[in-house]
Amino acid sequence: MQQRWAAYGGRSLFVLLSAVPIVAGVSYALLYSLGLTGVMAEGFTLVHWQEILGDAAFWRTLGFSLYVAAVSIGVALGLSLALVLRSPQAYTKGMLSFFIYLPLSIPAIVMAFFIFQLLGKGGWLSRVSHQLGLISALEQFPDWVNDNYGIGIIVAHVIMATPFFTIFFANLYQNERLGEYLHLAATLGANGRQRIFRVAVPVLLRRGLATVFLYFMFVMGSYEIPLLVGSQSVQMVSVRTIQRLQRYNLGDIPEAYAISVAYTVLVAVLLGGLLWYNRKQMGRA
Amino acid sequence: MSRFTKIALIGLILFPFAFLLMLSVGRQWPYPAVFPEQWALSNWQLVLGGSEGLGNSVLLSVLLSLSVATLSTGLSFWVSRHIAYHPKREAWLSLAYFPYVFAPVILAACLQFFFIVAGLYGTFGGVLLAQLFITFPYGVIFFSSFWNERLRSMEELVKTLGGSTLQAYAKVLVPVAKGALMTCFFQLFLISWFEYGLTNLIGVGKVPTLTLRVFQYVNEANIFLAALASCLLILPPVALLWLNRAVVFRERIVP
Amino acid sequence: MTRLTFFSLLLALLLSACEDSRAPEAAQENLSQMSWPEIEAEAKGATLTHMMWTGDPLINDYMQNYVKPEVKERYGIELNIVSGQGATIVQTMMAELQAGKTESEVDMMWINGETFYQLRQIKGLHGPWTEQLPNAQYIDLDNPFIGVDFQQPVGGYECPWGNVQMAIIYDTLRTPHPPKDRKELLAYVKEHPGTFTIDTRFTGLTFLKALLIDIAGGQEALAGDFDEAKYEQYAPQLWAYLRELKPYMWKEGQSFPEGVAPMHQMFANGELHFTMSNNDCEVDNKVLQGVFPESARGYVWEPGTIQNSHYLGIAKHSGNKAAAMVVANFMISPEAQYRKMDPAIWGDGTVLSLDKLPDDWAAKFRNLPNRQYAPDREAIQDRALMELAPEYMIRLAEDFRKEIIEG
Repeated sequence: MQQRWAAYGGRSLFVLLSAVPIVAGVSYALLYSLGLTGVMAEGFTLVHWQEILGDAAFWRTLGFSLYVAAVSIGVALGLSLALVLRSPQAYTKGMLSFFIYLPLSIPAIVMAFFIFQLLGKGGWLSRVSHQLGLISALEQFPDWVNDNYGIGIIVAHVIMATPFFTIFFANLYQNERLGEYLHLAATLGANGRQRIFRVAVPVLLRRGLATVFLYFMFVMGSYEIPLLVGSQSVQMVSVRTIQRLQRYNLGDIPEAYAISVAYTVLVAVLLGGLLWYNRKQMGRA
Repeated sequence: MSRFTKIALIGLILFPFAFLLMLSVGRQWPYPAVFPEQWALSNWQLVLGGSEGLGNSVLLSVLLSLSVATLSTGLSFWVSRHIAYHPKREAWLSLAYFPYVFAPVILAACLQFFFIVAGLYGTFGGVLLAQLFITFPYGVIFFSSFWNERLRSMEELVKTLGGSTLQAYAKVLVPVAKGALMTCFFQLFLISWFEYGLTNLIGVGKVPTLTLRVFQYVNEANIFLAALASCLLILPPVALLWLNRAVVFRERIVP
Repeated sequence: MTRLTFFSLLLALLLSACEDSRAPEAAQENLSQMSWPEIEAEAKGATLTHMMWTGDPLINDYMQNYVKPEVKERYGIELNIVSGQGATIVQTMMAELQAGKTESEVDMMWINGETFYQLRQIKGLHGPWTEQLPNAQYIDLDNPFIGVDFQQPVGGYECPWGNVQMAIIYDTLRTPHPPKDRKELLAYVKEHPGTFTIDTRFTGLTFLKALLIDIAGGQEALAGDFDEAKYEQYAPQLWAYLRELKPYMWKEGQSFPEGVAPMHQMFANGELHFTMSNNDCEVDNKVLQGVFPESARGYVWEPGTIQNSHYLGIAKHSGNKAAAMVVANFMISPEAQYRKMDPAIWGDGTVLSLDKLPDDWAAKFRNLPNRQYAPDREAIQDRALMELAPEYMIRLAEDFRKEIIEG
């Protein structure tokens, strides 16, 4: 009996703390975007929705956010899997098991500043290249920050995500007793390549899917990093939203809310797709 | 892994910290000098001496982040167990992603309205609750892969032997989960520690955490000051990590 | 155990909620009838929340270590400085008004024309109140750069606090002859591509406004309320000029720095040859801090740059209006203004009229230690342009994005 009450209590608390604020928030944003709430609201209108949906820059913004998240997470996963699979024990025991945690303590705003000072045309790498005689003037240093491909943004996210995934996969490796599986696979005649790509990587990725997806969403919604090291021509979604929310024209605020609702729908669709895929995989297994 | 690779990796990890520390004591750094031309502690003096009550802010931040991390870790550990053993586990878990499908800045703006209506605005409690909204679901997702059949049968065993739920937690679940709990705690501590947008909007600056105090300096034109502010933000969590390494890192950590 | 924690948390939240619902004191309504000593008496013991930008250590030092202890000692007012710029202030006021909060959490705020316009739009400001301040008699309200904010009369709704003019900053060693107008600028960037840009925020827009005024034929052409026809006439010429400039700008005009901070940083390391500041004296600060080289100088080019003031406003639903008035009165006192103007302290221009001040104070102001690297204030005064009506800035911001960044 007590057990059942505890279960109800736990789940109610869960709904209260995770779903309720967001449902309230999205409703508020939706009302705002339709001109139904806000100090300057003038009644129901679809103008703001028409404005953003008909704006090519808005779609580019969504596309660019997806691209940055996909590339950053892709590279970080590749690096961290390579690190962990090369030496699975290194990150759970010994010196590295402490040091690998250090990068987690660097927040996004500091990472943005660091990348700007490191990779900019007048940054530290450019200075070192100059001293080494690789370049003779700072103009020759490549455009790695504020560029249209988002190189600076991606590098920053990769630096932040790689240690995180390395810790994550190293622990998962142990927890899932992957070493034993791989040993088994070897005795069954699997070669090195097969062991990595047929056994280790799929197991780690499938078990870690929830966390990987969560991180993907963090990157897509990131603000400080694209703000400082991104380009103004192709913006990420948070940067554009804030610009609408806080820059000069109070009449633009409902548009900021419309962008957020649209973004929420996009992420919800991605999430739905992921859960569907996950269930299909589970069904197969 | 060879000793050399290990040292190289550690060097790579330490580089940003060294770089920021170096800039924080610099002055005059014309291109193409690799190091600043002058060294001075004047920025440190300016910030530490000129900001009355910075020490109080550190205490407040530690108190807030410890409370948020403790509450969130504890609650999410307990709640995630009930979610994990529910038949519709996946559907429940998808709720945990909700706070992250909304652009954080807009979430803050929306929540600000509700917190004013609820009268929680400008208070320590309000900021604490707002931070729980973003840390608690993270914890639930974090622990979701922890629960499995093996644990469940261990729990059953405790019950069969006449133990209470409390004993099951105290004697079995918490000891097994110790590493995971500590990792989660550290992650949530960091999320809370670096939280700026919500803390500023909901707290209206009346909960002056260290992050609020020095955050704007990171956007300063003065790179030496920006680097110093970065150090101030980073060093306390690093110190926490250092203090806890005996507890956390000798353990096998289960994600 | 966990449930217990949860309930005690809830309880704590409820308690803190109740604490919040004090009714604003009725006395506040009669402030306009009260004498100054009565207002001072009313203000005693109050805790005043002042929201301002806190991104500069010198400004913070001035506020935290001078203004705060002084008002505590003289008037018994506890000054609580909280962080928030224009947009945060407006957003906070909007949310409070929308939620029907009867007593604002923010009492006083540091604003400029753009925020003033927005706060007036949402009716978030208390006023008129500035005439009651004893020190208001020294304010140079006849000076249009102080008494008129973005072509809107301040009308007692905000108290002038400081006055600055935009300056372009360059390095005399690298650029011995900085461009004097837009024609020379174009020639310069063609010769040194990638070394010039503007930021997408307030400073960059202020620069665009000066260009627009210049294109329109000078100060008088765009004075007064926003004029759509004039905007349609002159803005296309501005965009045509910028499109000519664009391929030679930093990042070929594909990207623009987010705020002046990265611009200053890139100027310091040589990537840019110019940076800008809304405060003509900032170059002194930055040289003293070892950020800019000693060969850096500020200048105002021939067509002129915008001069504007920044102000103190009181929230409409502030529960501490008397205290806000007393603190504002102190902040515009000759003493506080004199200190603020010192380049080693902050270097912010005064809003007081030297003609109205008592002679000894006027003499002190005249003898302030000279700025070393910034242009002389008297000399740039005849190159000062007035702010345009706020709609110009809104349109410029929008069209700059459409025509230049995305165009």
